[in-house]
Amino acid sequence: MLRAAIKGVFANKMRLSLTAFAIVIGVAFVAASFVFTDTISARFDALLDTSATGVDVYVRPAPPETGDTFQNAEFGSIPEDTIDSVLTTPGVRIAEGGVVGFAQIVNKEGEAVGGQGPPTLGYSWSIDRSLSPVTIRDGNGRGPEIAGEVVIDANSANGNNLSVGDTITVLTIGAPEEFLLVGIASFGESDSLAGATLAMFTLDEAQRLFGLEGRFSAISVAAESGVTPEELAANISTTTNGDIEVVTAEESNDEQLEAISEGLGFLNIALLAFAAVAVFVGAFIISNTFRIIVAQRTKELALLRAIGATGRQVTWMVVIEALIVGFVASVIGIGVGVLLAIGLGAAMNAFGLNMPEGPLTLLPRTVIVGMAVGLIVTVVSALLPARKAARIPPVAAMNEELARPKRRSLHVRAVVGSITVGLGIAALLVGLFTSVNGGIWFVAIGALVFFLGVSIIAPLAAGPVATVLGWPLPRMFGVAGQLAQDNTRRQPRRTASTASALMIGVALVVFVAVFGASIKSSISSSVTDTFPGDFSVQSTNFAVGVSPTFTEEVRSLSEIGNVSTLKIGSAVVEGSNTTIVAVDPETITTVTSIDVSAGAFESLAETDGVLVLESVMNENGWSVGDSIVIVYPQDPGGPIEIAGTITSTNFGDFIITQSSYAVGFSNSTDYYVFANSADGVAIVDARAAIDGVAADYPNVKVQNKSELIADAEAQIDQMLVLFTGLLFLAIIIAVLGITNTLALAIIERTREIGLLRAVGMVQRQVRRMIRWEAVIIALFGAVMGVGVGLFLGWAVVRALADEGLGSFAVPMGQIVILVLLAGVAGVIAAIYPSWKASRLNILDAIAYE
Amino acid sequence: MGPSGSGKSTLLHTLAGLDTLTEGSVYIGETELGSLKDRDLTILRREEVGFIFQTFNLIPTLNAQENILLPLSIAGVKPDQEWYGKVVDAVGLSDRLDHRPSELSGGQQQRVAAARALVSKPAIVFADEPSGNLDSVASGELLDFMRTAVREFDQTIVMVTHDPIAASYSDRIIFLDDGDIVDEMTDPTPDSILEQMKHLGA
Ligand SMILES: Nc1ncnc2c1ncn2[C@@H]1O[C@H](COP(=O)(O)OP(=O)(O)OP(=O)(O)O)[C@@H](O)[C@H]1O
Ligand SMILES: [Mg+2]
Repeated sequence: MLRAAIKGVFANKMRLSLTAFAIVIGVAFVAASFVFTDTISARFDALLDTSATGVDVYVRPAPPETGDTFQNAEFGSIPEDTIDSVLTTPGVRIAEGGVVGFAQIVNKEGEAVGGQGPPTLGYSWSIDRSLSPVTIRDGNGRGPEIAGEVVIDANSANGNNLSVGDTITVLTIGAPEEFLLVGIASFGESDSLAGATLAMFTLDEAQRLFGLEGRFSAISVAAESGVTPEELAANISTTTNGDIEVVTAEESNDEQLEAISEGLGFLNIALLAFAAVAVFVGAFIISNTFRIIVAQRTKELALLRAIGATGRQVTWMVVIEALIVGFVASVIGIGVGVLLAIGLGAAMNAFGLNMPEGPLTLLPRTVIVGMAVGLIVTVVSALLPARKAARIPPVAAMNEELARPKRRSLHVRAVVGSITVGLGIAALLVGLFTSVNGGIWFVAIGALVFFLGVSIIAPLAAGPVATVLGWPLPRMFGVAGQLAQDNTRRQPRRTASTASALMIGVALVVFVAVFGASIKSSISSSVTDTFPGDFSVQSTNFAVGVSPTFTEEVRSLSEIGNVSTLKIGSAVVEGSNTTIVAVDPETITTVTSIDVSAGAFESLAETDGVLVLESVMNENGWSVGDSIVIVYPQDPGGPIEIAGTITSTNFGDFIITQSSYAVGFSNSTDYYVFANSADGVAIVDARAAIDGVAADYPNVKVQNKSELIADAEAQIDQMLVLFTGLLFLAIIIAVLGITNTLALAIIERTREIGLLRAVGMVQRQVRRMIRWEAVIIALFGAVMGVGVGLFLGWAVVRALADEGLGSFAVPMGQIVILVLLAGVAGVIAAIYPSWKASRLNILDAIAYE
Repeated sequence: MGPSGSGKSTLLHTLAGLDTLTEGSVYIGETELGSLKDRDLTILRREEVGFIFQTFNLIPTLNAQENILLPLSIAGVKPDQEWYGKVVDAVGLSDRLDHRPSELSGGQQQRVAAARALVSKPAIVFADEPSGNLDSVASGELLDFMRTAVREFDQTIVMVTHDPIAASYSDRIIFLDDGDIVDEMTDPTPDSILEQMKHLGA
């Protein structure tokens, strides 16, 4: 049986290799995801290790209960005099305090460097160099010695043609200042720490720039010889209070590693999600291919049965073929995955997210998981066709009629399909609209089952759909068109399952398009609803807001009237971590229109309390006047009074005053600055004035309402392009599936095509016949995909209505283009099979037995 | 006629432009086939040649009428209704025209193929053992129709057969052996054919 299986694989090389492609892609994504994250962890591990300095223990502020989940990083600090007790602790050899804060380098073109990815940080320069991972190579200058001097990382310097002796501007939370560049820093062998841009100043200068006078961000401590870091940490702990945490350098490294891998988690999830899509689409193609191959080999298999093979042996033969294909495809897939991981690293470098140098990490786990995924999917997909092969009766070897598979009742199919669709939709809706645990899994599995259900029903629709879609063909192309249409109707199962593979990719693309269009239309309506003012200012830096000195300068402009700001941060409200917004209740209504209950802002100002979103109030059974506990990063907080309710979702769930914010958060920057032109001043003049101030702050962008909308839309478009691009892979796999099915169909129809050629069909007509068959299959898949995608999009958008996704928009233009593209994809899919069909040797075809 | 492997099918294929010659030449009317490109050859087959094979003559997705008209629809030519009516009448399939091949008996299928071969008024029809898979009744019906085509419609038909009875429907028999013409006979009867075959076999 094994030998027969191996022969079977070789006999079907071509078709199986097209099939295997889907597995290769799926396994490649799985492998790439693992290789990429493992490699990055290993390299950072090595980097942190080589940069592991003389430091044994860090003394630092206890981490906030809130974590720092939001982008505006909190820089906690401890009093400077903490170092006194540290220095007198037994076992301490050296201890030095330092600070860290936001600092962004401005290049010679006046542009802020970085800020859209890795952090832009400033540090104090430690006096004892053994405590720092940073080194200055010979010829690259020296460390900062007095105020007004700065050292920057080599990657930023090289990338912006900055050299020692240059005067550069550095942005901090205060006003931009100029510094003399005195040194260029490296990190062991590396020029960059994961693409972060770094500026380093003397301690005093850094404390002033970061608003940390009299404070340290951390104290680095080295142990006397013979004292382990753990002992040292234990010793120091006895001298400190609860606001201060003592950790070993190793613990701190591990935390950083974890933070890095968490930061890359989204990439990992995205890669695995695409792997899942590729594998799912691939499963359709594999099962289709095996079904066709089994059908074509009915006589051969029946002969095996006739000469004594058991049904089980025949099943095994097909399964072993699947195993061989799955094995080869998985091995190739792992190889491709490694290449993909390398490419991904290169792409990240190109985007400025520099990965440390180092070898690639391929763990046994990656190979095992990759192989398992490939083998299991292939074998499971081939299982049904294999079982079917076992049911071929031995007499089929003698009798063509008996060799034809029996058509199973369509009623059964309709019932099973409808139930499956119903189950899928039910799971989907439960996941979306109820607060069940693990809702995302309900959604994912619901969508999967929904897809399966549709594909089960699809054969029922294949005939009628082909009749409708193919309607113009006989009129346009005569008998070639008619045959194309007939051929799609003749094996509705095959047509439908080939189309179903395409349906999945198209549905996901449509879903993403609908989701994106809905977000865009929600954004524009929410901006229009909530921002009646003239200008909005935001930081271009992902990690920090607009400098308060900028806001002050704008306030003092005579061309500008009302100015009010929005601050943002993470806090723990009644035990759960959430984002919180801070406003100045006196002025906020002059530049925004936040829907709140009557008198809410007045009472917010009076009580210094909190405004809560209506639906959150209801969910928790709170009412105005109740007290809730909010914990801030820099302040344990306490009960705070609910001063009113928010009735629109555009400003988050909780609004506090900026005076509460100042106590609770160290971050002083503004997330949004809203401004109006002064009475009687033309908008253009006000704009010129505010732009004049912004010119000194290269990391702020001033926008009017339409620019704000366009900007937000552009960001969403970027995401859409990325996702759609990746999902097109699923479509390409499905298109290969069409090629595969047609190539197999042509083998089956060899005699028919030979006959057509004999009675006068020219090659062009043969190609046309195959091409339009492919187009009908592709359009069928696209139409199903559009339907399913619209439904998914509608359900998800509706489910997120409470999260501010107010409108459901259907991008008709994009969908029409997608369907047309699917048609074109059909034409492309048919290139090879139609060429092959038109070149069939007529004599071979008619003499074929 | 000729023994198995004597080159009957090969001769037919080369005459019909389905196979190419290594030496010699084939003319249909004034046209020499060897000089034609695939496309012209295909069009010539469509217009000047009719075919009846032993099996698998019909496209399974097309009904009888569509199969009969296939060469014309491939060419995009409107059928001559009068001629089509005559052929369909003669072949005796008027009430089976909307049936698919799978709904027709073997004999009916072969008669549909014969009608298709005639419908484009070709210069010549080639038939390779057209009755080889039929019982004697169905075979008789098919051969009757073919003879009608020759007698009444002036159609030239070249047929390969092993069966002396089928061969006796023809006006002239050529005997092949080992790729060569070895004998010839006109106005044959089953008995005279059998006699001749015994001779050749010996
Ligand atoms: N004139 C020829 N020159 C060279 N080869 C020939 C010639 N005629 C026939 N052959 C070869 O002889 C072989 C058998 O020929 P063919 O199939 O035409 O025989 P046949 O008479 O149709 O036999 P059957 O009665 O079994 O159908 C073929 O391989 C063919 O290439
Ligand atoms: Mg022959």
